[in-house]
Amino acid sequence: MELRYFILRRVLLLIPTILGLSIFMFILIEAVPKTLLVTPYLNPHSTIPVKIQIQNALNLLGLNYPAPIAYLFYLDRLLHGNLGLMSMAGYPSSVTGAILEALPNTLQLTIFASILSIAIAIPLGTYIGARPNSLADQAGRVFSLTGYAMPAFWLALLLQLLLGKGTILGNPVGVFPISGSYNPLLIPHPAPSWFVNGYTLPTHLVIFDSLIHGDFPLFVDSLEHVVLPVLTLTYGILAGILRFMRAGMVDASNQEYVKTARSKGVPEKLVIKKHIRKNAMIPTITVMGLLVAGLLGGVVLIELVFAYPGVGYLTTEGILNYQIWLIMGATLVFGLILVLTNLIVDVTYALTDPRIRY
Amino acid sequence: MANDSSFGGTVLKAKTEKRRPRLEDFKHTLKLFVKNKIAFVGFVIVLIYFAITILDYVYPRYLGVSNIDTAASWVKSLSTAGVPAGPTLSHGWWYIFGETLYFVPIFPVMLAALKTDITYSIIIVFIGSSVGMLLGTLSGYFGKLYDEVLMRITDIFYSVPFLILAIAVTTVLGYSLTNVVIALIIIWWPIYARLTRGVALSIKSNKYIEAATASGSSGIRNVFVHVLPNVLSVVFVQFSLDLGSIVQLFAALDFIGFNKGAPLLPELGNMLTWGTTYLTAGIWWPIVIPGIFLLIFTVAVNLMGDGLRDVLDPKLRR
Repeated sequence: MELRYFILRRVLLLIPTILGLSIFMFILIEAVPKTLLVTPYLNPHSTIPVKIQIQNALNLLGLNYPAPIAYLFYLDRLLHGNLGLMSMAGYPSSVTGAILEALPNTLQLTIFASILSIAIAIPLGTYIGARPNSLADQAGRVFSLTGYAMPAFWLALLLQLLLGKGTILGNPVGVFPISGSYNPLLIPHPAPSWFVNGYTLPTHLVIFDSLIHGDFPLFVDSLEHVVLPVLTLTYGILAGILRFMRAGMVDASNQEYVKTARSKGVPEKLVIKKHIRKNAMIPTITVMGLLVAGLLGGVVLIELVFAYPGVGYLTTEGILNYQIWLIMGATLVFGLILVLTNLIVDVTYALTDPRIRY
Repeated sequence: MANDSSFGGTVLKAKTEKRRPRLEDFKHTLKLFVKNKIAFVGFVIVLIYFAITILDYVYPRYLGVSNIDTAASWVKSLSTAGVPAGPTLSHGWWYIFGETLYFVPIFPVMLAALKTDITYSIIIVFIGSSVGMLLGTLSGYFGKLYDEVLMRITDIFYSVPFLILAIAVTTVLGYSLTNVVIALIIIWWPIYARLTRGVALSIKSNKYIEAATASGSSGIRNVFVHVLPNVLSVVFVQFSLDLGSIVQLFAALDFIGFNKGAPLLPELGNMLTWGTTYLTAGIWWPIVIPGIFLLIFTVAVNLMGDGLRDVLDPKLRR
């Protein structure tokens, strides 16, 4: 099959998956008591009696109708980008708005962590995989095993204790701040015009916005804030990539073409670089999708521990305030991100290995 | 009569002869497993954790209090003022790892916590794997429409990260640890369904299934007599590996705050929540020690699972 047909087919396959996901979310929403669903739609200051307000909200949401029709109402709202309403102090009342405000921060953490872990894991995995059963290999095994077994939120707490500023009294290595995405004390009192509701414009990422607007101290501060969450996230997926990279290296070095390359006198460095590592990358790419799933799960806990204002932190706030639409909306958004990443992984896979077409 | 009994005798004999290779196989497997020292150490550690859990059930008074289902019996004062004592040997055995929130000693509560953590994890993985294994094996064996539908359903479960799915389901069911358990069961079976479906598919094309069908064995009988026993070893390996991830997920969900109404429940994730009270004061033991206790279990489970995989996978052994 040609590559573009493969990509087209893969994209078309997304539709049933996303529809299935929306049905699943709808079943979950249907299981929630209706009074909880309409709560954010009510206005306590309105002169209209509450009973009528509830009826209006139910009509608006389509929840008065049988389930299949109510689902169509839900789907219609989703297609218009409307994930429902929420009522939480300090946040916008639209779930979509709140998630869009927080999403850049989550993406920033996951992308930084992915880049860092790939940048470490590929060379390290190559080094270890070329020397199976050596001391470095044993150390790598212990490292990736603990990475697998380590609960992400506990690692986050440990890093706060070890490297966090102001945790252990007089901690000599405590340099990194432990909560938030920037230090609010660095913002002048009438906040600059690019600050709206605690978020910065235009990207919502303090790191980039402070650079754009030339606020250098804020830039350094926001970089410091990102270090610990990214380190925590990195450790978990680094272990996974390292494990697969090592296995791929060992597997590839037993292949006939490696023996051929060696016997015709190709220098060992080139054999490792061109013949073994390139082939070891293929199985590693396939597991990236799984690792992204772990990454997105981990980011919720890590944002909670570091109070980093991303979608994960927003979700945990929503749990404490029982905001059904927010939690369901965030679940859907995380699902979409995962589905799209899997698409990218599959396409990358097909691009790197011309033998593979489904 | 005499004829009958002799006939029965031969059947019995044939049965015992038939069984012997399996027993020898098991002995061989056991020998291989014990040989793998690292996996065996993991196994022993897991056994110790299980033994403590059983002790929590049969003789809870070894912990020195009457009720171990809540940390209330250990609470000295319900105020967060003052500093909990650090790890010390001078206050007796139970205070060896220091105190945590409300001046509760860490060591006995940690032991009591295994009752919650390990029991719930085993329930989740056991029910999840049984349901998933049954659905997956049937799906792999019978295929067709049923297979297609089941696989599309598992696709949905795979399209959301597990932790987030667990959060959504628990929110719908209501905040309590029982509901966390139900939510984790709901999201956990698809892993096993997918895993066993693949194995069942590969077993299905074997000659002995064909032979069984030719000699009149029905599809259902084939599944239960020929396919399921072969699927079991794969499920068993996954089961042992999952125990570690489920304990982590369970603790994480408790840490997020789904244990409404049970703030004093002895549970490792909950203990970490208590520990965060003193985080900025630099009091490390309420966080570090329960975490290490959890980490030892998950590492041991992973070591054991890896060892089991090496031994039970027929392609890797011999």
